[in-house]
Amino acid sequence: MDFGLLFSEFPSLTFDGIALGAIYALISLGYTLVYGVLRLINFAHSEVFMIGTFAALMASSNIMGVKIEDDPLSGGKLILTIVVCLVVAMLTSGIVAVLVEIVAYRRLRKRGATKLATLISAIGVSITLVEAFRIMTDSLPREFPRFFEKSLVAEIAGAQIRNDKLLVIFAAGLMMFVLDRFISKTRIGKGIRAVSQDEQTSVLMGININRVVTVTFLMGGLMAGAAAFFYVLVYENTSFRVGFFLGISAFTAAVLGGIGNIRGALVGGFALGLLEVYGSVLLGTAWKHVIAFTILVLVLLLKPTGLLGESIQQARV
Amino acid sequence: MKKIISVFTAVALALGLSVSLTPAANAACSGKLKIAYQGPLTGSDAALGLNMLRGVQFAVKKSGLDVEVKEVDDQGDPAVAGPIAPSVSQDECIIGLVGPAYSGASRVSLPVYLSAGLPVITPSATNPTLFDFGGKIFHRAVLTDDYQGPALAKLVTNNVKNAKVFIINDASDYSVGLAKLVGFTLGSKVVGKETTPTGTTDFTSTIARIKKSKANAVIFTGYFSQAAVLVKQMRDAGSKAVFAGGDGVLDQQFVKLARKAAEGALLTAPAVPFDSANAKLAKEFKKVMGSDPGVYTTESYDATNFFLEAIKKGNKSRATVLNYIKKNSYKGLSKTLKFDDKGEVAGVDVNGFVIKGGKIVLSGPIK
Repeated sequence: MDFGLLFSEFPSLTFDGIALGAIYALISLGYTLVYGVLRLINFAHSEVFMIGTFAALMASSNIMGVKIEDDPLSGGKLILTIVVCLVVAMLTSGIVAVLVEIVAYRRLRKRGATKLATLISAIGVSITLVEAFRIMTDSLPREFPRFFEKSLVAEIAGAQIRNDKLLVIFAAGLMMFVLDRFISKTRIGKGIRAVSQDEQTSVLMGININRVVTVTFLMGGLMAGAAAFFYVLVYENTSFRVGFFLGISAFTAAVLGGIGNIRGALVGGFALGLLEVYGSVLLGTAWKHVIAFTILVLVLLLKPTGLLGESIQQARV
Repeated sequence: MKKIISVFTAVALALGLSVSLTPAANAACSGKLKIAYQGPLTGSDAALGLNMLRGVQFAVKKSGLDVEVKEVDDQGDPAVAGPIAPSVSQDECIIGLVGPAYSGASRVSLPVYLSAGLPVITPSATNPTLFDFGGKIFHRAVLTDDYQGPALAKLVTNNVKNAKVFIINDASDYSVGLAKLVGFTLGSKVVGKETTPTGTTDFTSTIARIKKSKANAVIFTGYFSQAAVLVKQMRDAGSKAVFAGGDGVLDQQFVKLARKAAEGALLTAPAVPFDSANAKLAKEFKKVMGSDPGVYTTESYDATNFFLEAIKKGNKSRATVLNYIKKNSYKGLSKTLKFDDKGEVAGVDVNGFVIKGGKIVLSGPIK
């Protein structure tokens, strides 16, 4: 138990935890949105994220021509590269998420298959995608070029603020805000909420359920793609199995916040990021999952629906 | 998902085995003789395994003998190695096995090969306890971590003034064992220890600990893919501590992944680089195999040649091959392979390496 280190480094650790939590939160949105609408755990979502990291990599090398050994970019080219990579990663993940729904879930859904059948289908898609990427990448990790030199830009209340993580927090925050507004204000967003409240009634009210489901998967995929780009920007590498640990963490975050609840996923993501960082400082990195999951279990014992309660409508977005 | 996958693999293999088992049992080899290579050919450490596989393939090609190389992919993972070992031991045409590459996988595989009498020469598994699992069939073409651990500690204290060392392991058999030996040699120079299980990508807390400990050297005893992530994050967080690692890190992939952050890293291996053993042969290797030889290519090449030598002398079964390599010696590129009664080689040094200008440079034996 190293309380001394936790207290002396608390501000910096908090900053790092928020940056990690932002990535968790973006991924967990995909789990929570799909659960809210279909009551289904989309196990293939971690692979949607994984494909996003490779899309970002392709965008940087093939579209922007950034080479691994290049010096860090600057000025307009830097901004353009970031935007292009982000957009490509988001679109790719979004499209993949929609395709997964069409290929693996839609038919099962129409035929009224059991939840268990859909779950197996999800696991199947996940394994297929992981193995496909394992074969395509020769099982090797891939490095990501350094877009800009990572440096400390400020020190706020003792917290050392690093530029790449700051960017991630800001951009992720912006996306969460936009998504939140989208769900609460737009017509299709209202549709999503209606379906998650009562599917049959919303169909009777004239909501096109397939459209709602597609948009839900698209939104989840877009967010996972953004998370993927932020991940490679900070950690600068990816591999076919990058989605595994992150997917589990993000899923945990969704449950922690209350699965089916958008703001819950955000709260859960940040909470988990902070818990992992604090916990690993306190007891050692080997213990971080133990700590995070112990707290998850405790929260669920006290409040089985998660921090903010289950399902989208209860959050009253 | 990984767990689920390995359960699936286990079930699939069990089914496959029960079908193929019956006709093959106890039949002597009727076809082509095979030498197997076992190590990670897929998975995140595949680069290291492929280094060795190419050494095996190159040796067989050069020998001109009609011998097949059987690839056994254990992903360096004991959970994968366990279920596949029986299928290897049942193929009577496999008369020798180069590998297993990793110590953890060796522990579960060796008892199976012992009961099948399959002679094994590992080019790279360095955990000192492996004889206890493999007994008479076990041989090793490298020095154990009993030598590497102290050498790694010495390499750091030779190069860092007033060394204060932070030791990190990745919770694997190899890594924990090596970390213990390093720590034992360094004694009071160790200022901190940490375990970061394989798959860890965020080292925030580890780096906070390193900084707090005021360590001027960090020894990581795991493998290259994680080492690259760790050293990059250390440099980004402003840590200037010297980075050092064992043979698990010593791979061109480490330099490729960590780039500038790898510069100046100190590495050890009980291995001899192929081109410093024989530069001309290294060029031929590149031409024939299409890629440069890497870490443990030399040792795999030597181990394979010892088996091939046995075959040339007319030994065509496991028992006679085993007998041959026990009684004879073979002058390889890296060293003369002559195994003692515990299957170990003696009389060689652990080499030190430093990363300079993006290249792994041999700095010589560690004294």
